[in-house]
Amino acid sequence: MFATRTRGGRRGILAAAAVALALVGVLLVVLGLRGHAGPPQPAPQRAAISAPLSAAAPTSDPTPSPAATSEPTAPTVDLGTILPASVPVTLDIPIIGVHSTMLVPLNVGADGVLAAPTDFASPGWYEGGPTPGQLGPAIIAGHVDGPTGPAIFYRLGQLTPGAQVTITRQDSSVATFTIDTVASYAKSEFPTDLVYGNTTNRAELRLITCGGAFDHKTGHYVDNIIAFGHLST
Amino acid sequence: MRTSLKIAAVTFGAAALLPLSMSSAFAADGNANANLAPIALNGVNGSGTAMVQVKGTTISVTMAASGLLAGSPHAAHIHFGADARHECPAAADDTNKDGHLNTTEGGPAYGPVVVSLTKTGDTTPASVLAIDRFDTAAGGKIAYQRGSIMVAPEVAQAIVDGKAVVVIHGVDYNNNGKYDGTVMSDLDPKLPTEATDPALCGVLSASPVGAMATGAGGAAGSDSTPVYLFAGGALLLAAAGTGAFAVRRSHAKV
Repeated sequence: MFATRTRGGRRGILAAAAVALALVGVLLVVLGLRGHAGPPQPAPQRAAISAPLSAAAPTSDPTPSPAATSEPTAPTVDLGTILPASVPVTLDIPIIGVHSTMLVPLNVGADGVLAAPTDFASPGWYEGGPTPGQLGPAIIAGHVDGPTGPAIFYRLGQLTPGAQVTITRQDSSVATFTIDTVASYAKSEFPTDLVYGNTTNRAELRLITCGGAFDHKTGHYVDNIIAFGHLST
Repeated sequence: MRTSLKIAAVTFGAAALLPLSMSSAFAADGNANANLAPIALNGVNGSGTAMVQVKGTTISVTMAASGLLAGSPHAAHIHFGADARHECPAAADDTNKDGHLNTTEGGPAYGPVVVSLTKTGDTTPASVLAIDRFDTAAGGKIAYQRGSIMVAPEVAQAIVDGKAVVVIHGVDYNNNGKYDGTVMSDLDPKLPTEATDPALCGVLSASPVGAMATGAGGAAGSDSTPVYLFAGGALLLAAAGTGAFAVRRSHAKV
């Protein structure tokens, strides 16, 4: 009687333990399967084969050789709509919830690399390059995250071709850009010419943030996510 | 015969290696951009950008500018001088104190012309004032694109080193819509100084290179997923074991 009761109690404890273990186990498996995705990522892109811009780089010589001095007609150059210089003051990308009224100027360091903004909440623009709307690639960069959570460009990888980016400039004009391509590049194969180079014949935009895996050893993400766009209004 | 063959092979090998080592030592490949802004004292309300791509000693130039005197030729050049300041001139460069900067007064800042940005034909300094081959700025705007411009190695190097300066000339001081006036050009006494005084200027600086560090990892994807799976799986096994043991105990008792 006494023994049975003890045995019965032990059985109950064992059953309860089994249920508890199973519940925690299932919870952990679900957690493990779901993981924590991190920032949204676009398709990775090999730098060497990518040519995301619809406008081809001006690789061919559009002019006659110097010997042809007698040839009076120069080819017509169409650079599309080009705005005068004016620094950006607000940045809106409604489809990924970016609204910034504080853009900081960015510059290159001694190594030639463009330094990121120090403020995780503010995007920055490269002041050595064209202002948004001028001929060439206007560069705006922002952090994907800070030490404790998402930053201003956390969702940049969600941008898709056709998305609109609106930049108000100091002269009160509004430059609207249409995204052409969004791609992820390994930092070790960063396409410098494609992003910063003289490969455009119109006013273009580059939005840059980080992506890929976070390398805890270096404290850096391994990829850059870059959205390429052009001035549409 | 043998010896000469060997010498030939060595020479050929060295020659084959030379372009490689040359390219690493002297290559001036890169991109540069100049933000064109009004020249001090000359009163032009304009702006622009000039992008230069350098491949060895060949450059291509794409340039857009606005706010210039419309319908008049605007000479445009790349300037560089080893002993120049590699910058755009300042008000202090007005050595004749006439209240404007002419092209000569800008010399200490940007140096002599090294490339003439003509639309056709010769691009050397010989075309510095080839007025009929420069853009005439319809609507006050210049849209310029030209490739395969050959330059000296030191010029190519100066461009990627941030020491070359783009200057667009042609100013309408009296706002009467044409180049005129009694003051004649310091470059050509047959032209009014309005036709050759610098209007817009920008130092070519190397475009950024390489990747950006735009994340701190605070919202990075979790990399401990396998740990969760392993622990969860182990607990499920333990649960199954415990459950089976309990069931066997209860069966044994009854």
